[in-house]
Amino acid sequence: MRARALAVAALVVAGCAGTEEGSATSLLVFGDPHELAAYRSLEAAYEKANPGADVELVEASDRKDLIARLSTSIAGGKPPDLFLMNYRFYGQFAAKNAIEPAAPMLAASKALQADDFFPQALEAFQVRGEQMCMPQNISSLVVYYNKDLFTKYGVALPRAGWSWDDMVATAIALTRDANGDVVKGVDFDQPGAAPTGPPPAEYGLAVSPELIRLAPFAWSNGGRLFDDDRSPTRIAFDEPAVAALQNFIDLRGRHGVVPTDQEVESQDDEARFAAGKLAMLMSSRRSTTTFRAISGFDWDVAALPVYKTPATVLHSDAYCVTRGSSDKAAAWKFVEFALGAEGAAIMAGTGRTVPSNKAVAQSPAFLDPGAKPRNAQVFLDSIPAVRATPTISTWPEIEDVANGILENALYYNQPTTEVVRWLDEQTRPLFERANK
Amino acid sequence: MAVLAVFLPPLALLVSGSLHRPGLPPPTTPDLLPSPVSTEGYRLAAELGGLVQATLNSLLVCLVAVPLSVVVASMAGFAMARLPRRVAGWVAALSLVALMVPAVALLVPRFAVFRLAGLTDTLVPLVAPALIATSPLFPLVYYLAFRAIPGELWEACAMEDLSPLRTWWRVGMPLVRPATAGTAALTFVLTWSNFLDPLVFLYDRELFTLPLALRSLATLDAADFPVFLAGAVVATVPALVVFVVAQRDLKGVSR
Repeated sequence: MRARALAVAALVVAGCAGTEEGSATSLLVFGDPHELAAYRSLEAAYEKANPGADVELVEASDRKDLIARLSTSIAGGKPPDLFLMNYRFYGQFAAKNAIEPAAPMLAASKALQADDFFPQALEAFQVRGEQMCMPQNISSLVVYYNKDLFTKYGVALPRAGWSWDDMVATAIALTRDANGDVVKGVDFDQPGAAPTGPPPAEYGLAVSPELIRLAPFAWSNGGRLFDDDRSPTRIAFDEPAVAALQNFIDLRGRHGVVPTDQEVESQDDEARFAAGKLAMLMSSRRSTTTFRAISGFDWDVAALPVYKTPATVLHSDAYCVTRGSSDKAAAWKFVEFALGAEGAAIMAGTGRTVPSNKAVAQSPAFLDPGAKPRNAQVFLDSIPAVRATPTISTWPEIEDVANGILENALYYNQPTTEVVRWLDEQTRPLFERANK
Repeated sequence: MAVLAVFLPPLALLVSGSLHRPGLPPPTTPDLLPSPVSTEGYRLAAELGGLVQATLNSLLVCLVAVPLSVVVASMAGFAMARLPRRVAGWVAALSLVALMVPAVALLVPRFAVFRLAGLTDTLVPLVAPALIATSPLFPLVYYLAFRAIPGELWEACAMEDLSPLRTWWRVGMPLVRPATAGTAALTFVLTWSNFLDPLVFLYDRELFTLPLALRSLATLDAADFPVFLAGAVVATVPALVVFVVAQRDLKGVSR
């Protein structure tokens, strides 16, 4: 009896703090506090432009949190109306039939046409030719570089169309010890390798050992990572891909131009770059907002080095309407606003994204001459060369497994034949599960 | 002393880190004395992470949940101690089985139940576990504590015509104060640091609790580490206070 009275009291107390269940369109997004603030201003602009409309932002901190929220609410029967998701991670929700296809809504829309968007971003969110979600941004892998370090050591800046060997030579010339002398390529991690001089204080290059970082170089070399790019059933590196992998591993094992894993553990790549101790960093548009806070030196971006043909990897997030949404029309209306001229310009203003809307991407909202990086055009020039990874449902798990293997390969200089075999063996069950 | 030596340095680093000025590249080796000392991290943590509201929400949840949970646990433990040994053994075994069920396995069913009750996006799902004593462990703690008291005492109470409820409250509870202090402290920590439930059940950022706010601050750039550490200090201090208070109670009775 007493317990029940207390329970009622608890409900009353907590209920006071709760919000009313309304007809608001809920939008699930993730991001750091600055990014979430941009979504809040997007929400405010939408509600101002559409009196009576109500959008409820559901905020998650990172992708893992977002996926936990989304999976539970879909399974529990009350999904948000809309969510924002990267193409590499949306496959599992498309496979579970949790997404309402965007194709009919896009065809009927007066505000948005397929032609407004970069086709590379649209394609990443298609299942068997049907548009599932609407891409919000289209970023790619580029090279951020510390201009002051290049000037200090008299090294030529990266040019468009530079080769992998050019990049390695540049990185070697910029890997310096505490005296400012070039460090000879010795791997201090190798058993028995005696250091011949002081360890590097500044590194020439950093790239995280991940499948999506390696893929563009394999593609650029004319290589293939999977047995079938459209419907892959296993990881199968061909010869040019193995060559690109070998060169990737050599960055640490042979040339010693990227930080060791202990060094990355103690200071991550972005922090190292911001501290002025890293000359070049391969990253997507996301790093831009962090680097805009840098005051100690000048920096810019350059295109990825090229083997045979230019290639880079797509980063894109899209708005997906859930099948369980109670008001899909209202959800779509918000998508139209967010991806139209006004909404896309608000998100471009954060500096974090490259707009998927072609007109906005070519406008000063993105190519702001007063904001770094000055060479923002690189992101747009890379788009024709952008390629997407497969969107099968178990892709996130495949990436996790593959990244673990690539990390060991880079830091412990493992032979490529073994690495390729492990990649195949350890990911094959995941491919099988996806193709069931 | 040895315990202090192990636990104090991380706390000192935490506090000193939170007093650095945000926006500068993080130092590669920790420096204990920040220069200049800055409370900017705390201001930004409140502004960016909604830390003030989150702290109030967490406190509200704990103020309701912890006493409720302790009352339920002690009542259940008391009742178990009065059962015949064999039956109590079975109940204890069942509790152990319940302890082994991972919380994640119950997440979707719980979500469905709270959705049907219209209670998602309120703090109710965070308080609700208190109605079953938060963890099956706590009734067992009380069961063992009450069982250690000689049975003659309960018989005497029955002769005096005390109702079971009065026996529990007037005679039983004062005798098991260490168990209460320990259970309350552990329940507080479990509730205070609960991350998964608010993540799944809360949508409105006005309702977010501290672990969610802290998670959000953790995604800030490396240069803003003092902001994150300021949030961590705010989250750690109440837990420390609760432990200090509980420890006094634990010692007081064992002497």
